[in-house]
Amino acid sequence: MEILYNSGTLLIILGLPFFLSGTVGLIRFPDIYTRLHALTKADNVGLGCIVCGLALQSASWAVTAKLLLIWLLVLIASSASCHLIARSAMQKNIQPWTRP
Amino acid sequence: MIRDHRFVKDFTFVSFSPQFFFRILVFSTVWFVLTGSDISSWIVGVPAVLIASKLNLMLAPSSHYSISLSGALRFVPFFLNQSFRGGIDVMRRALSAKQLLNPGLVSYVTLLPEGSARIFFVNTISLLPGTLSAELHGNQVTIHTLDRGLPIWANIQNLEYHVAALIHISSDKKKSL
Amino acid sequence: MSWMHTVFALILLPAIATGMFRILKGPTAADRMMTAQLFGTCGVAILLLLGTGMGTPVLLDIALVFALLAALATMTFVRRTWQYSSKRNHGNPIQ
Repeated sequence: MEILYNSGTLLIILGLPFFLSGTVGLIRFPDIYTRLHALTKADNVGLGCIVCGLALQSASWAVTAKLLLIWLLVLIASSASCHLIARSAMQKNIQPWTRP
Repeated sequence: MIRDHRFVKDFTFVSFSPQFFFRILVFSTVWFVLTGSDISSWIVGVPAVLIASKLNLMLAPSSHYSISLSGALRFVPFFLNQSFRGGIDVMRRALSAKQLLNPGLVSYVTLLPEGSARIFFVNTISLLPGTLSAELHGNQVTIHTLDRGLPIWANIQNLEYHVAALIHISSDKKKSL
Repeated sequence: MSWMHTVFALILLPAIATGMFRILKGPTAADRMMTAQLFGTCGVAILLLLGTGMGTPVLLDIALVFALLAALATMTFVRRTWQYSSKRNHGNPIQ
């Protein structure tokens, strides 16, 4: 039990840098498309780590299932809204930033 | 091709097709996860599950392919691995002092059948390392990439293969398309 | 009550707070809206951590609703606001 709990903690700690770097990317990256990359990928992996960590720590299957459901929902939602934003940006003729 | 007029015609709950049964199973599981083991919640749950299943069947009529269990079992680790790498990749580019971005657009023609398979494919592209699906016109996907030096074509083809395995399309059939 | 999870949640707060900077800078409305998406994912993570840390499983349900609302907000914004404003302001034909 102790091992499970501690590896859960490790997973949560692993997830935190993803969130922070997602925000750094959102601030630092040069255009809307690259920012979308940062936002969707980093945050989803971060949330995945935290969800898995909490699932390892929780004693009940019900909580684990609900956590996984939340993650799945966030995954679907963020990839769909990411695609929507990118598509609208393309349709509005917003040119992607390229290396000078 | 995929739209099936049968489902638009019948509104009755009598026809227990395998697809309807599958949906009931899925939505029941979701309801169970949401509400826990409280029996009385099913007073609302049973009608909700039935209505959701029927609506889902009418709004998104099932296509001619079915989900393969072995394909799904192989897809999950593939997806987790790839999206983890995607996260690492973005983290590296966001945190490095040097500017590591070399973005560009890539066009890809998919062989996947129209409908949910293609939409699923397009949505998972965005979670792969360095790629983001920007536009979908028919079977042509425009992909935005963070680094033009990445093996994008190989990655996308690999993903396409996994999605095809998920929905019972053999690679021979893909070649013939 | 586990202080550890609360500390983790506190670490995530700057991630949200820094995201505000993008709201100020823009430049397009969609860039600002992406901060809302950040609020969605980060908020869900914070709620999950707090739910475990403070022993209030109700927060899991709130996280679920939060995730749903963030997605709906982004989709409504893209479908309704952003595409309309493009036609009106710049006269760009869509496609």
